Amino acid sequence: MPAPPSDARLLHARLVHVRPTGDDGVVLRVRPERELPPLRASRFFMLKRLDGTSPMIPRPFSIYRQVDGCLEFLIKVMGRGTRALAEAPEGAELSVVGPLGNGWPDLDGESASWVLLGGGVGAAPFPMLIEASLARGVAPGRIHYLLGAATKGLLYDLDWPRDLAERGVRFLTATDDGSEGFHGNVLGLLERLWDEGELPREVRLLACGPDPMLHAVERLARERDLEAWLSLETLMGCGVGICNGCPVPTRPDGPLGAWGNAKCCVEGPVFSTREVTLG
Amino acid sequence: MVDLAVSLGSLRLRNPILTASGTFGHGLEMRAFTPASKVGALVSKTVTLEPRAGNPAPRISETEAGFLNSIGLENRGVEHYIAHTLPEVAGADTRIVTNIGGESVADYARIAEVLADREEIDAFEVNLSCPNVHGGKLPFGTVPRVAAEVIEAVRAVTSKPVFAKLSPNVTRIADMAVAVEGAGADAITAVNTLLGMAVDWKSGRPALATVQGGYSGPGIRPVALRCAWECARNVSIPVIGCGGISSVEHVLEFLVAGCTAVQIGTASFADPTLPGRIAGELDGELARAGIERVGDLIGTIRDGREAQRG
Ligand SMILES: Cc1cc2nc3c(=O)[nH]c(=O)nc-3n(C[C@H](O)[C@H](O)[C@H](O)COP(=O)(O)OP(=O)(O)OC[C@H]3O[C@@H](n4cnc5c(N)ncnc54)[C@H](O)[C@@H]3O)c2cc1C
Ligand SMILES: Cc1cc2nc3c(=O)[nH]c(=O)nc-3n(C[C@H](O)[C@H](O)[C@H](O)COP(=O)(O)O)c2cc1C
Ligand code: FES
Repeated sequence: MPAPPSDARLLHARLVHVRPTGDDGVVLRVRPERELPPLRASRFFMLKRLDGTSPMIPRPFSIYRQVDGCLEFLIKVMGRGTRALAEAPEGAELSVVGPLGNGWPDLDGESASWVLLGGGVGAAPFPMLIEASLARGVAPGRIHYLLGAATKGLLYDLDWPRDLAERGVRFLTATDDGSEGFHGNVLGLLERLWDEGELPREVRLLACGPDPMLHAVERLARERDLEAWLSLETLMGCGVGICNGCPVPTRPDGPLGAWGNAKCCVEGPVFSTREVTLG
Repeated sequence: MVDLAVSLGSLRLRNPILTASGTFGHGLEMRAFTPASKVGALVSKTVTLEPRAGNPAPRISETEAGFLNSIGLENRGVEHYIAHTLPEVAGADTRIVTNIGGESVADYARIAEVLADREEIDAFEVNLSCPNVHGGKLPFGTVPRVAAEVIEAVRAVTSKPVFAKLSPNVTRIADMAVAVEGAGADAITAVNTLLGMAVDWKSGRPALATVQGGYSGPGIRPVALRCAWECARNVSIPVIGCGGISSVEHVLEFLVAGCTAVQIGTASFADPTLPGRIAGELDGELARAGIERVGDLIGTIRDGREAQRG
């Protein structure tokens, strides 16, 4: 049976600060009781406050950044759990279970370019991935990061991707209301880049964002026969593989097809579209 | 050092803390959080004869004071359990309890028979909350005679200890307890989840794809405590309390009410180190109270007429 990753632990942590970002987001900086080695982007942690303000079940969040022995999370306020975290006072005690999940595959410098598609707070796992790839010597010109949202304020923290753009990564934004960047969604933007010959037809896709977007990416990958990886955000009751609350249907003809469901928390959250299907 | 050992039938446990079925994996998946050597026993998720795909998502939902689930007994079947889980738990430094389920009395008998000679298994826990396909899909554990038939069938094929895990969704749980004791159960686990549901009134969407599901966690503890107490008063076999337990105090409450051991379920989702930690705290807690043997506390609940006095 899939077990949690061998480096996952329950750690106590202190909230260092909460920085508001965009219309409804925060960047939460927490200091765990001991420093963690550099982590793969799109691995995640289960977070909750220990002062009784959080719901019983901790909530999953991707690692956004590691700085000065701290972990940062980019969090969109949705309901009880995210609100309690966003409103936590400095010094608040948190429980942090992780690092969990598999994370993005390594971006290599060979063969097709990489197109990273983020939707809203689905931006969280990308900048760290790009940093790590550049540090490993991947040419910045091979990475194209397209970030979309309903409106400008839901693109959240733009300073970091803009800094990456200055170092040669292509970074483009799209908003449904046209308040920032391309007027439309990231898939529309991708089509336009293709139509204008701005991007080779053969690319590899990574995507994280709302369900309709991930469905569209899965469809696109299938139609164009592209390699694609999706970072999924199912409901999670435990994050460590023991509640069975996070099933993702596997593709019968794929490498996980021997069983009908994969566990998002311990077999994901990143899956290739050859492994699973959003239906 | 307080003597923490307890017995469930012929099974001796180092301490009275067990994990609850379906909340701590099948085998040793959680060893990095709670080493097997810390707990009295590890209880597997329900294993069935055939693989079961389980229910569609959403399968879980948190409410104000608890947790709803409709996993649908997803598991890869007994052959997979034998091939993959039993080798993993072989030689584990704890007792291994295999929780079994079925759709008919014959299913239970068959799976118990298939596993009866496996040395890796120390005891069976029979999940009586499975729907009976020959009984209008009513859970086996809602009709005393039917529950007794299941336990008799399992009893007949194994000499290992058999725990009957009862459903709280009955009119009188004591009747169930008496029935399974009569059928040869060595212990009773009380209880499984309560039936519950949640709905978003604005969208009209139920929280679970199956609409109703099992309710567990802090909100059910008073119900579970009452059920366990009622069982313990009516049978002479040991009772294993289960429902909403998340601290050493909760454990001691169940022991006082008559339980010989307890299981930790939903609380492990928020903190998978909890079963081990609670087991570790028992010694100090009992020593502070001047209790030398955990057994001395079991069933020491007083008469209700003494409730008001000091
Ligand atoms: C692996 C993983 C990584 C994630 N990373 C991030 C991240 O970096 N930043 C971030 O802001 N969010 C992230 N999420 C989503 C985040 O966990 C949810 O938004 C959060 O659990 C909502 O909790 P809540 O108590 O505030 O909302 P609730 O009160 O539980 O729910 C409010 C609303 O949010 C929806 N919702 C609840 N849980 C989820 C979920 N897991 N995914 C999508 N919608 C949900 C509910 O259906 C409901 O409509 C991630 C989820 C997963 C599984
Ligand atoms: C997600 C989940 C899955 C469960 N799966 C099983 C199961 O497979 N078999 C079983 O007998 N009980 C199962 N249970 C019930 C628990 O073992 C336990 O009886 C119940 O949750 C009450 O205890 P708790 O409040 O401590 O969780 C499950 C409970 C939950 C929350
Ligand atoms: S979230 Fe519990 S098994 Fe995946």
